[in-house]
Amino acid sequence: MVRFFLRRLVFALLLLVCTSSAALFLTRLAPGDVTAQLGPNASRSEIESTRARFDLDRSPLSQWILWAGRAVRLDFGDSFLYNRPVAPLVIRAAGNTAVLALAALAIATLVGISFGIVTGSRQGSHTATLVGGASLVGVSLPPLLTSLIFVFFAARTGWLPPGGMSSAGTSDVSWAAWAIDVAWHLPLPSLALAVPIAAIFERLQSQSMSDAVQQPFMVAAIARGVPRRALILRHAWPVSLRPLCAVYGLVIGALLSGSFVVEYVTSWPGVGQLMYSALRARDIYLVAACAAMGACFLAIGTLAGDLLLAAADPRVRDQHA
Amino acid sequence: MKPSRYVGLGVTAGLLVAFFLVRGCPSNRNATGDSNAAPRRGGQIVGSIRSTPRSFDRLVAADQASDLFGVLTQGRLIRINRATFELEPWLAERWESSPDGRTHTVHLRQGVTWSDGMPLTSADVLFSLKAVFDAKAGSVVSSSLIVGGQPIAATAPDANTVVFAYAAPSGPGVRLLDMLPIMPKHKLESALAAGDFAKAWSPGTAPTEIVGTGPFVLREFQVGQRLVLDRNPRYWRKAPDGGSLPYLDRIVLELVPDQNAELLRLQSGATDITYSELRPEDYVPVRRGEQEGKLKMVELGVGTDADAFWFCLKPEAKKNDPRLAFVQKREFRQAISHAVDREEFARTVFLGEAVPIWGPITPGNRQWFTPNLPRYAHDVARARDLLKGIGLEDRNNNGVVEDAKGTEARFTVITQRGVGYYERGTSVLREEAAKVGIALDIAPLEIGAMMPRMLACDYDAIYTRPLFSDPDPAGNPDFWLSSGSTHFWNIGQKMPGTEWEQRIDTLMIEQAGTLDLMRRQALFNDVQRIFAENLPALYFAAPRLYYAHSRRLIGVTPSVMRPQLLWSADTLSVTNP
Repeated sequence: MVRFFLRRLVFALLLLVCTSSAALFLTRLAPGDVTAQLGPNASRSEIESTRARFDLDRSPLSQWILWAGRAVRLDFGDSFLYNRPVAPLVIRAAGNTAVLALAALAIATLVGISFGIVTGSRQGSHTATLVGGASLVGVSLPPLLTSLIFVFFAARTGWLPPGGMSSAGTSDVSWAAWAIDVAWHLPLPSLALAVPIAAIFERLQSQSMSDAVQQPFMVAAIARGVPRRALILRHAWPVSLRPLCAVYGLVIGALLSGSFVVEYVTSWPGVGQLMYSALRARDIYLVAACAAMGACFLAIGTLAGDLLLAAADPRVRDQHA
Repeated sequence: MKPSRYVGLGVTAGLLVAFFLVRGCPSNRNATGDSNAAPRRGGQIVGSIRSTPRSFDRLVAADQASDLFGVLTQGRLIRINRATFELEPWLAERWESSPDGRTHTVHLRQGVTWSDGMPLTSADVLFSLKAVFDAKAGSVVSSSLIVGGQPIAATAPDANTVVFAYAAPSGPGVRLLDMLPIMPKHKLESALAAGDFAKAWSPGTAPTEIVGTGPFVLREFQVGQRLVLDRNPRYWRKAPDGGSLPYLDRIVLELVPDQNAELLRLQSGATDITYSELRPEDYVPVRRGEQEGKLKMVELGVGTDADAFWFCLKPEAKKNDPRLAFVQKREFRQAISHAVDREEFARTVFLGEAVPIWGPITPGNRQWFTPNLPRYAHDVARARDLLKGIGLEDRNNNGVVEDAKGTEARFTVITQRGVGYYERGTSVLREEAAKVGIALDIAPLEIGAMMPRMLACDYDAIYTRPLFSDPDPAGNPDFWLSSGSTHFWNIGQKMPGTEWEQRIDTLMIEQAGTLDLMRRQALFNDVQRIFAENLPALYFAAPRLYYAHSRRLIGVTPSVMRPQLLWSADTLSVTNP
């Protein structure tokens, strides 16, 4: 298991270096640079000093070497947009993204798996048909649309805040009051993010559950007189979890690193929103740092997925032992 | 299911509904009010911004959010009233100008203090000017404070007097001082000396370190979320009743990057004002909100900036492009102007909320607009004749005109991606130009990719909205002068490339150095006429601007210039503080 963890750690480091370096190179090689933000009235000296400040007066390779050398010392450079070091900006945003993604994951897991169990164990019933249809709609809804639908809903009804992570004036309240306020802002973006994932989970769970209930051990359990509820939850469900666990890690990684649109539309101050603004402004070091954080999330997600898979399936545990 | 479970489910559902209803009770944010009612003290308004300020120091950042922050927290000696375009004494209570217009003596208002209690003195003014022209400070306002090719100089005979010396007479005179926010010497002097001025007031700076003479002070900045500004208890300006200003206790500026979400927030009452004027496509939902009594839609008037279409006319950049031969002929550009039906353009692009124009100065700029310009009526036959006159005909019947050598009049037009009126404008332009045999292919780009190409003349044609920083033409020399950095069609010429640009240069230099306003207007009318004859950039319609705000605001004085409402934030108040 230790070797497994070490292997994962090396993989995560490689992913991090490759992703952030690729982001740096791509941002550098894309047409335009951060000096476009200075506007057409900027003087030549202003443009040159900005280019020098962000090492844009060097070759891309020389810039990367300089940046990598600093990154080893945990100096990831300054942001043009925020005029300050990128590390604290990205760390703070990552925390916010994690809160959103974990809430969305919890909703998607709870809803998706619950409905998947019901529809998988009652194939052909009206409930299964109804939920299956709803899931197909959910899967085909892009997060941009779900975000706008939920923001519209919040705006029209006034039942939920139409965006943001906290209310104004909550910076000097108690931790508990702040947490309640954040929880109040959480349903809208987390639902927007959770709907398509819950639908995917439901479809996967439903399919694997329907496979599991047809296994021979289920017939044996029925013959032993095991009640239906226990039959489904204790016997069939654990067996049906394997395909779900296999994608769970990827979903966690994608959720944590890919909530761009939802964060943008709902003004959630996470990595997605930060990276979007950085990309638009060609804020090169901020883009690289956000990409590195996305890679971290992906690595954490895949690791969590592997652990879940190991917990659910003894064969996987034996393989890593 | 057992009955107890139904009860449990019912209680849970009931609690949830109660929770949502209590939290979701419509607040009194949408309470209606009369914007002309007597002002009330207290309360807060919530606005939105689409990006956070790059710096809290307006001298080093020109982005819209930094500018707004500067307007709310810093003062200037003299202010241009954004509603009337007239000058107003601000931190300076009066001034005198010498007859030759080169010396301006400014007297500071007595008793003005910074928000931390330190007195404002002439040393702060001298310090601000020093910072503007400090090579390491990276000021973004320095080019606006150069007269006759020299930086404005200043001396301070005493703590309340500053004498500004211009290297040449200046038509705008003290109006230029509106471009100079006064910064606190006691807070920033060490940063300037250390060469760290540009980073001294970065968004990471503690709010207590940021002091100003404006109506509000920074209370907190939550990265990626909001700015909270509290009233400055030491603000110098008084209300007509002698009471203190500003009326509001707090302004919250929420970061809402998406403009659709911003509008939804305004409609829901979560915000009171938006970042900028409405898009044409927002008029219908906002009018509905107005009918429902939630919002108030204000017509700001015709905008002072309009969308323009121009070709790269720089010979050095296009020396191998055979199309330059006909693009440089004014008849070619006049033909396009004739090809476009401006009334239809206004209807389609701005959904009818625009007026036809023939030059860069719109009717919104009342002081400098002239209606007496050459006009190009919609006349496809005349356009074709003009093209034929310069040797452009559709010789191979493919619908596109070409010259005798077979060079087609086909161009790629770049414009900013994601802006509805640019996309509609280029689409209409393409259709109208096609009717006279000019083919336009549209290529929307991100602004970051578009800007370097624009500055390097690496394009065929561009459709975008050049912004004037000052309604006074002398405040925009970079646009008008052939050597200017925003003389977009041929930037930064060492010598005027054409005879008519030479004439515009001469007239602009003369009008900028003329003190008599009538004479300046006459000279500038000539400039506009030459521009309209030669059409280096084509203008079709100027949008009529609208702004929406919640009905609880009192004392709204809207402006066509940004920030449309918050430029007079000190006199804003709310009906239900």
